[in-house]
Amino acid sequence: TMAHRRRGVGVGRSSGPKFSKKAEELKAMSAESAMETVKKLEVKITDFAKKHKSEIQEDPALRQKFLQMCAPLGIDPLLSKKGFWGSLLGMGDFYYELAVKVAEVCVASRSRNGGIISVAEVKNILSQRGTKFQLAGQSTKKYSRDDIATAISKLSTLGGGFRTVKVGASTMIVSVPTELDSDHMEIMKLAQEEEGCVTVNTVRQETQWSEERAKRALDLLLSQGMAWLDMDRGVESYWFPSVWKEGFGMDDA
Amino acid sequence: MVKSDFEFPEFYNFPPFFTIQPVLATREKQLHLWRELILRYHTAYKIKTLIVHDCPLWKNTNLGRELDSTDISIIMNDLIESGHGEWEDLTTSTSTSTSAVHTRCRILWRTPQQLASDIYEWAQVHGFGGGGVCTVYELHSGEDVHGMSFQGADEELLRRGLEVLEHQGKCTMFQGDTSSEDGIKFY
Repeated sequence: TMAHRRRGVGVGRSSGPKFSKKAEELKAMSAESAMETVKKLEVKITDFAKKHKSEIQEDPALRQKFLQMCAPLGIDPLLSKKGFWGSLLGMGDFYYELAVKVAEVCVASRSRNGGIISVAEVKNILSQRGTKFQLAGQSTKKYSRDDIATAISKLSTLGGGFRTVKVGASTMIVSVPTELDSDHMEIMKLAQEEEGCVTVNTVRQETQWSEERAKRALDLLLSQGMAWLDMDRGVESYWFPSVWKEGFGMDDA
Repeated sequence: MVKSDFEFPEFYNFPPFFTIQPVLATREKQLHLWRELILRYHTAYKIKTLIVHDCPLWKNTNLGRELDSTDISIIMNDLIESGHGEWEDLTTSTSTSTSAVHTRCRILWRTPQQLASDIYEWAQVHGFGGGGVCTVYELHSGEDVHGMSFQGADEELLRRGLEVLEHQGKCTMFQGDTSSEDGIKFY
């Protein structure tokens, strides 16, 4: 926040009542102007939402941009179905329903992918089923991968172990409490570059890790069912169903 | 069912499908998928018996992967245990050894228990409950059984399902002039 930055410019470092009074004044001023700026921005955003309400409801890309504008201001237009934003945009139900459907797909697929699945695959499954959602009183099939990620972020604030993780350029949804650290994510990213498959050797080549470290991470992923083992003519490789499936012709965002 | 191009499941092109998984939970899923594949394949092509060393499913040439004989045994045992497979040949003994060599497995798309409940449900819906009678022939080839799991079923298999029902007290069998005219009275 602005108040913080001001402090770094030497305010509060000098001693003396005159300086500290000035410091307090400046702090108060900058806090006040920060508040004013935020209020002005809120007004702008609210106006924007009112003016472009139907576009926000109908166009997933614009919707995403709008949400991105709101986030730094701490505005959450999806927070409730009722209240100001709920009445204005009517999007609360949509994200809630989407989150429920996405969660169902994730849970149903756990036995084959260990509880990690790409947003792209979830979208594909829902599209194939022809799933529709109510958005602002209309039935729609038009939603984006970003919408899915947003819906999941709503779920995680409600608890339940659902969260999104980035693997390379993709977003995956994890629906199990398994703790995945950066080593695991790194391995999955490598798998993504190799059609869903890695070996201990390829992991070590790319990361310079010890054999022990590579194996430890791979074994965890295997034990969780996120990786399956392929033993072919004496060579062991690890395949990730969630990454492998992503390589199938998925529809676009 | 008409013989048509069989649609292999996605997993059939997933290399690890051909390695029996070391992690138990994953292995369970894998065996379930293999069971489904075996049943669907044999039903689609109306093959009643799986001959272990001849089965084309164990090898995916395009993928460059195949199951070894230990893997195949595991899959076959799982199939048998599920009730969807039965060995047709028992032990064989030669002059030097007696070993259980199973090569021929009867494929049961529906287990006798499943057939029994399917038949009974059909009977209730079609008003045979409470004393209604139909013949064995009508069960596998009658007009009213279109789409039922036992439509076109092997008579021997059908009878096994009916035995289960009899055992449960849900029907009694009685002889007709010919075996296909044998009757079933439902309760």
